[in-house]
Amino acid sequence: MIKIQGLQHTFAIGKKGKERRVPVLKGVTLNVEKGEIVAILGKSGSGKSTLLNILAGFMAPESGSVKVGGNETTTLNEAQMANFRLESFGFIFQNFQLMPGLTAFENVELPLKIKGMAEHERRKKVQRLLEEVGLVAVADHYPNELSGGQQQRVSIARALITDPPILLADEPTGSLDSETEGDILKLIRSLNQSLGLTFVIITHDEEVANVAHRQYRLHDGELVKGEKRHAI
Amino acid sequence: MRFNDQFDFIRQHMKRNKLRVATTILAAMMGCAFLIILASVGFGLHKTITDGVLDNQLVTEIQVPGKETSDEKITDEEIQAMREIDHVIAGVKRSSPDAEAVAMLDERKGYVPAVLVDFEEEQKAGLALSQGEMPKSENEVLVGYHFAKQLLTEEEQKKVDEGEEVKGFTDNVVGQTFKLELSPYKEGVEPATWEFTVSGIMDEPAKDWIVNSKIYIDDSFGPEFNNKLALGESYNEILVYADDLQNVGTITKTLKDEGYYVYSVTEELDSMDMFFTALKAGLIFVGTIAVLIASIGIFNTMTMAVTERTREIGVMKAIGAQPKLIQKLFLMESAAIGIIGTVLAVISSYGISFLANWLVPIIIKSSLGGEEGMDDVTLLISVIPWQLVVIASVISIGVAMVSGWRPARKATKIDVIQALRQEL
Repeated sequence: MIKIQGLQHTFAIGKKGKERRVPVLKGVTLNVEKGEIVAILGKSGSGKSTLLNILAGFMAPESGSVKVGGNETTTLNEAQMANFRLESFGFIFQNFQLMPGLTAFENVELPLKIKGMAEHERRKKVQRLLEEVGLVAVADHYPNELSGGQQQRVSIARALITDPPILLADEPTGSLDSETEGDILKLIRSLNQSLGLTFVIITHDEEVANVAHRQYRLHDGELVKGEKRHAI
Repeated sequence: MRFNDQFDFIRQHMKRNKLRVATTILAAMMGCAFLIILASVGFGLHKTITDGVLDNQLVTEIQVPGKETSDEKITDEEIQAMREIDHVIAGVKRSSPDAEAVAMLDERKGYVPAVLVDFEEEQKAGLALSQGEMPKSENEVLVGYHFAKQLLTEEEQKKVDEGEEVKGFTDNVVGQTFKLELSPYKEGVEPATWEFTVSGIMDEPAKDWIVNSKIYIDDSFGPEFNNKLALGESYNEILVYADDLQNVGTITKTLKDEGYYVYSVTEELDSMDMFFTALKAGLIFVGTIAVLIASIGIFNTMTMAVTERTREIGVMKAIGAQPKLIQKLFLMESAAIGIIGTVLAVISSYGISFLANWLVPIIIKSSLGGEEGMDDVTLLISVIPWQLVVIASVISIGVAMVSGWRPARKATKIDVIQALRQEL
């Protein structure tokens, strides 16, 4: 499903003209199978967010290749990449990244609007999904009227609404208490099992990583294979 | 994203920043309204003066004062040739004998201008009577609408000299026979007298301030006047009449090409048009500066909007929004500000224009103390033709979109990673 090969990237540090390049990713190679949950663990500054940003197409690597479903994404331009993201990825962010001026329903509906789906069709689809993730009661609430767990559920619903094959999660429980964290991890696992979705989870939390079939650890820009936790 | 969703999207954003958007719309409206009102004054003055020109003369009348090539008088043959030009309905010659004319009716007399005319041709040109009929015999004449008022007794003449108003001859002048004494301006020639009967009275002049006390005599009397009084060259007025205003220009050009001095309403309007076109262009230019100042407000509002929504733009890009869509949404928002501002400006401009046209003439008339003849003057301070609305709208909406262009471009350049890092 995802094939990352020889990914290298550096960051410039220091004043302009006197900056020095610090390597963040040193030839990272990773394969993620369809329907697999892969967790990438690492301390802050280890380069795990950079890896996710490159995978999502938010930034281009200095060298290396990223293939998603057989398509090389590093050569896509900004507009092509936006389209690719809309079709292939769903995003779950640590800070939920919901639109404050939109209700839960409207937030979930947004990717379908961007896609250009007709109103009656998308409303039906959003309604059905909100029922599945248990958010019907708060559908017309604004993000600031929702709890952290509810906001993350809205964020997950928004990620799922376009039926993407892959979900990219950046610290999905980073802003949640441990009880809510458990709920969200259960939801991820059940989505993986029921819909066969592929997850790439970036986290520093071992508990979160435990939900994955495979774990990797980024250390000094190199990816170290972790213990295989579960069979797919 | 579908158009109605895009529209809905910007509507929600504008609603969230009501006050800021409202003040920006107000600025855009004021700029555009200033442009329209300023230029409308140019259009108003143009219309007032054009209407004045058209009202004060017969618009299909073309004056031919003489020839460009020589000082010779225009001959009857040449006048006949003018009558044969396409769309000319009449060519008249009005001659004023080189003598002072005094009309005498019983003990009344009045100094009135005598004019020799060709009645048949005058009728073709549109001569209209208020009373009586056209002359049927040589000694019958037409008189101007105010002719009778000029016939005064000695006593009345004294009163007039003292500044008093008198009524003159109040009986019906039609059918009355009066004596006309012509005293040549040339010295040493005795005056002579003729008797004429009034067959009809000319129509009332179109304007209150025009006084017509002329005597219109058949031009067959010309040679007789000359023989008896040894008159010098009479002053001839040559007028050519077109069938329609739209043909006046062509006839004017033909006559010019044939070497005549020509003066027609189109000549006057052409020179006026040139001046007023320059004036209006100048006013639109000054007004555009106001629109440009307002555009700074739109630029600031849109820049603020982009800055404030950086995180939201980042999220939209992350979930798959094309940079072009982001740009379009912001351009639509600035265009919406421009369009709403322009619509309000057009409505308020018509209101202000209506008020100005109603109020200013009242103020002017009252300040002039209600002078006689003022009621007759139509004073238009401001006129807003649809062309002005189109020009102002294009400038205003165009400027609004240009000012939104840079912020919109900035929005497309927002880095997703940086944007997502922003605090809520």
